[in-house]
Amino acid sequence: MMSAELKGSLNALIAPIGAIVLTMLLGFILVAAISDEPVLAYRELMFANFDSLSNFAMFLNRATPLVLISVGITFAFRAGVFNVGGEGQLFAGAITTTVVGIAFATLPAMILFPFAVISGIAAGAAVGWVPGILKVKLGVDEVVVTLMLNTIVLLFTSYLVNQVIRDTTAYGAVSWELPEHIWLPSIPGIPDATSGFMIAVVLSLASWVVLFRTQWGAEVRSSGTNLRYAEAVGIAAGKRVITAMLIAGGFAGFAGSLYVLGIGHRFEQNFSPEYGLIALTCALLARVNPIASLFTALYYALMLNGAAYMQISTEVPRSLVILLTGLLVLLMTARLARKDTNTQTFDAF
Amino acid sequence: MDHDNILVLDSIGKKFGDIVALENVDLSIRRGEVHVVCGENGAGKSTLMNILVGIHSADGGKIFFNGKETKIRDPLAAGAMGIGMVHQHFTLVPSMSVAENLFLGHHLLRFGIFSDHRTMVERADILIDTYSFALDPEAIVSSLSVGQRQRVEILKALVFDAELLILDEPTAVLTPPEVEELLKVITNLRDRGRTVLFITHKLREVKAVSDRVTILRRGKNISTHITKTVTENDIARDMVGRDVFLTGRQGQDHGMRTFGESVLQLENVSITNSSGRLLLDNIDLDVRAGEVLGVAGVDGNGQTELAEAIAGLIPIQAGAIRLDGTDITHVSVAGRQEVGLGFVPEDRLDRGLSSNMSVAENMAATNYLREGILRRGFVDKDQLTEFTQKGIEQFDIRGAKPDLAVASLSGGNMQKVVLAREFAREPKALLVSQPTRGLDIGASEFVYSEILSAADKGNGILLISSELSEIFALADRIAVIYSGCIMQVLTREDADEETIGILMNGGKEHAA
Repeated sequence: MMSAELKGSLNALIAPIGAIVLTMLLGFILVAAISDEPVLAYRELMFANFDSLSNFAMFLNRATPLVLISVGITFAFRAGVFNVGGEGQLFAGAITTTVVGIAFATLPAMILFPFAVISGIAAGAAVGWVPGILKVKLGVDEVVVTLMLNTIVLLFTSYLVNQVIRDTTAYGAVSWELPEHIWLPSIPGIPDATSGFMIAVVLSLASWVVLFRTQWGAEVRSSGTNLRYAEAVGIAAGKRVITAMLIAGGFAGFAGSLYVLGIGHRFEQNFSPEYGLIALTCALLARVNPIASLFTALYYALMLNGAAYMQISTEVPRSLVILLTGLLVLLMTARLARKDTNTQTFDAF
Repeated sequence: MDHDNILVLDSIGKKFGDIVALENVDLSIRRGEVHVVCGENGAGKSTLMNILVGIHSADGGKIFFNGKETKIRDPLAAGAMGIGMVHQHFTLVPSMSVAENLFLGHHLLRFGIFSDHRTMVERADILIDTYSFALDPEAIVSSLSVGQRQRVEILKALVFDAELLILDEPTAVLTPPEVEELLKVITNLRDRGRTVLFITHKLREVKAVSDRVTILRRGKNISTHITKTVTENDIARDMVGRDVFLTGRQGQDHGMRTFGESVLQLENVSITNSSGRLLLDNIDLDVRAGEVLGVAGVDGNGQTELAEAIAGLIPIQAGAIRLDGTDITHVSVAGRQEVGLGFVPEDRLDRGLSSNMSVAENMAATNYLREGILRRGFVDKDQLTEFTQKGIEQFDIRGAKPDLAVASLSGGNMQKVVLAREFAREPKALLVSQPTRGLDIGASEFVYSEILSAADKGNGILLISSELSEIFALADRIAVIYSGCIMQVLTREDADEETIGILMNGGKEHAA
């Protein structure tokens, strides 16, 4: 027998897939209007990612941080915290792992690797902790705090990478390379695809279990849906909210950590195409379900990379993807609103 | 057709899918009367009214208005005919003034373009005076109390001269004094020649205000009476379909009941808020095993603080709370539950439930460990379902399935979910706050019997209620709270409604 939550996960999947299909159809009309080769453009957009093993590897690399951050954001949202700080938490994790990796380069991998990863996670969690504790203790709006922290963290990493750990032999704001013995290995059989992707998949499944199959998960969701109820049934609601933010930050920090260890092998100030914000959209489109987040993140990765191939092969600009993703968000929210009206009618009766 | 009738419904039927909401309902409303339609939740009252104002259309039957057969297509058509409705949930724009709300969508214009603000205010003022509503036409709606907003809603219907005014459960959102005011308003409307159709399930209001009463049950018109000729019990019987016992312990021989040791004690409990005002002043209470101690009082005299202090949700500044001999003054909410406290909060949607979560998760919230729902740290779905199913059956929670969101249940069934959760722990002391607020008669009766049987099993129960009839039905002793003080504690034999009523208004100094 299939449990209701699992059905819920499947339903949560059906919704975005329907919207995605519709988006792609509408997008095709657009492309047909501006391009002589709409079919080629669309083929590039959707399937060029699978043309070669190296394209596929880049696709997985693109998806990895998105999956991790959006799964982390799921914890925050379920706890009722609108965490817009994925970007800052990601950068905190990436820069910390880089600094630790470079500073202690002589340590053996057995020690340095876990040290670098854990400090990256801790840095992300710390950046997530600030809005959490401010919200719980002082009622400060988390959206403002997380947005501000994004700027603070990004400017700080910019300082570090330009003034302290800049690779003076390279062009641009990039750090020295990390010692090779702590690089994350590739997925067996797919050269250059970070094995961090497999970690992300496992974590997204595990997160579902934690959120929907443990008392702790139920307590987090209770705190997120009705804080005053959670208090009344004896849940340490404030603690749950803060822990959820630590996890959200930790996931984003981990994403940054895995990025520098497995993909970039150094910190680049411009490594992120706003992963934090895209992951937020992924989590929302997945209706705050960690397993569905995995798929929405894959879709976004597909679009981001596919757009580049499309621009190379045809004259369709890659910014089309921004339009498509905007259309997708519109369709998803429209669908949700319609559903809400139905429920209301039913309740009224 | 009797021309004296303003509205006649002839065998109206309505189905939603397979569900029959209304079946052959006949109803005639006489010009100038106050006619109450009552019935339990889900009896079809709201559906019937929605048909009258054109929100739903009937599947069968005829509607005669002023003697002519009519079809009511939409709310605008209903308004044009002279049927105005005041919905339970307000449809006002909070940021606009009273006058602007009254003329919303029909703004009076100057030169055909500009809003004629002055005339609208004048017209609103005349209207307010006519019905002596005591409103400022230029006041912003968001600054008004709930009772005042409701009057604006009523005016909104009257401004376009509604002959027939439909009020859909208007008292559900009001405090008792506001209810009194509203009942006066309704009588006043009738005296000025309006016809009022009033929907409620509160018997006291039926008796207080109506000329005739029609009772719906499961979509059928069960009976129509002249209100003076029937008793509250007659109406209740028609509504529920059997004899109803809301009398509780009244009429029972009190001498037969014996009480055990004290299970919940409050000693000199005081609470001050951040600005230094005393919210609870030296409260002493003592609930014994097997006893229901009722706390009567007008809302807002410290009841909320009292309940939250006992539950452990707000700290107390002085005094001590003991549960079953253990000092729980500084124990956490969860710790108090562990010692044996059950808590039914006054507002089920606020503190009682998380309405977007499932029935199962709401019911299990405090019971995971105790009921063996966890296996090796993970939720055992089968156990959870079994536990919930047991609760659903035991408490007769209609329409509930373990995986269904609580929000889809009716108020009475939501309250039963709270009871099922709190009773599952078999708490030694049970703190019950406003347990039947918003519930219909059938559900209230069920809640009463559960509370009394818990007392019979030897639990000590502290019942906080602003409904005096509820206090008299359930309590063995009655404590009256006024302005944060316990005025006096009386046994039920010594108490009568008048004495309690005087105490509730602070009419007496601290008793010796």
